[in-house]
Amino acid sequence: MKQLILDDRKIIWLLPLVMLLFQCTTEQKISKKTYPRMIGDITFDAEQDDPTFELCSGDSLAIQYYAFDEKPYKGEKIAIERRFEEQYDASRVAQESGWIRIRFLVNCKGEAGRFRVVGMDENYEAKVFDSNITRQLLEITQSLDQWKGFESETRPFDYYNYLTFRIIDGTIKEILP
Amino acid sequence: MKQLLVLSIILWLSSAVKAQDNCNVFLWEGDSCRYAACRYLQEAPNYFQLTDKFHLIYDTAIMICPNYSDIYREKSTAYLKTGDWITWKELMDKAVELNPTEHLGYRGWCKFQFLRDYEGAIQDLERLDALIDYDLGQSQNGMYHLQIALALCYKMIGQPQKAIELIKNHLAKADTYVGNFDYLHLGVLYLEKGELGEAQAAFAAQEEINKIAETAYYQAQRYEQLGDEKAARKALTIALKRYLNHRMMYDPYTHQVDKIYLAQIEESL
Repeated sequence: MKQLILDDRKIIWLLPLVMLLFQCTTEQKISKKTYPRMIGDITFDAEQDDPTFELCSGDSLAIQYYAFDEKPYKGEKIAIERRFEEQYDASRVAQESGWIRIRFLVNCKGEAGRFRVVGMDENYEAKVFDSNITRQLLEITQSLDQWKGFESETRPFDYYNYLTFRIIDGTIKEILP
Repeated sequence: MKQLLVLSIILWLSSAVKAQDNCNVFLWEGDSCRYAACRYLQEAPNYFQLTDKFHLIYDTAIMICPNYSDIYREKSTAYLKTGDWITWKELMDKAVELNPTEHLGYRGWCKFQFLRDYEGAIQDLERLDALIDYDLGQSQNGMYHLQIALALCYKMIGQPQKAIELIKNHLAKADTYVGNFDYLHLGVLYLEKGELGEAQAAFAAQEEINKIAETAYYQAQRYEQLGDEKAARKALTIALKRYLNHRMMYDPYTHQVDKIYLAQIEESL
């Protein structure tokens, strides 16, 4: 088959037309795909969220955990790991493996809320874990009470954080990030 | 707090700036598809990679050139940073399918760094190694050569000797990339095997490169194994001082293998 090769001048000249064509033909398709304002946004859900949990600067100004040069949990991550070591009971759960991620918001006072749980198997497919695993992880995560609150001279900060649990045969092998 | 603001701005800017590909490369290759998508992205406004606008722009670029693998990888980053591993994996699988030699190293590194999926990381990195006849390259954050990452994966699945060999082979190469923690990891591997002389040599090499709390902490463990309590305590005091001066392993996104925390030093003293 003869390959169509255009020289630089022709390509640049044709580019706006190509763009226009793609924009016209793709707008309808693109408009079907919707995203939240920010990937990973957690909006308030009256059915599952504590109504007393409030953000200090509103949803639109919440930032991501890695924006801080200071680790946001008092006692560092090892304090979180030790809480799970002490409180998670692997003897009463199914022998399942994969990852469970719990994402949540922390407000400027260091209070956490709007927890969301997602499970994934070892092939990176969505998975619903034994509720004895998920419930324990969620309850212990919700009980963590040493998150740091941050504020600048101009405004307080709320931030997103998450914990990912590497689960092998029902036991916690790693807590990330 | 000023540091926080500066870091936030740097992170935002680094995320907002799109890869400034030289689109002409595609033109020279006769690839008008990727050239058009590349030019479209260069002309489009910059948005933070988590925003809906960023993803809509990149979706349009995919419509222009569905086989442009970099676009899927760019989109995947937002899901990586927010812990949506399922979507991240779907996008990275597509990028790897289209251009394995370009993206296997990154996918393998992320599996290791963010998910501790050691077996998955080993598969990706070894597949890449089999596909190329050049260097594996470095991790996305620049902290590690990917062969060291591969070695750490083997360590974590219970193959310390294989890990030692991989690290030694890497460090023996002339003009190779030596990371900030390579010798520390080697020393800890020897320490855990009870090969204290080799551990000492590795820790000494680490001190030449980067003096961090972890080296002193593990040195203290080595002294304890030798029965030298006085030297162990002195090493722990050094570890504490370094930690309080922020001279320790650090990654804004997650923690590294062999990292230690302040509580561990204080409890050992």
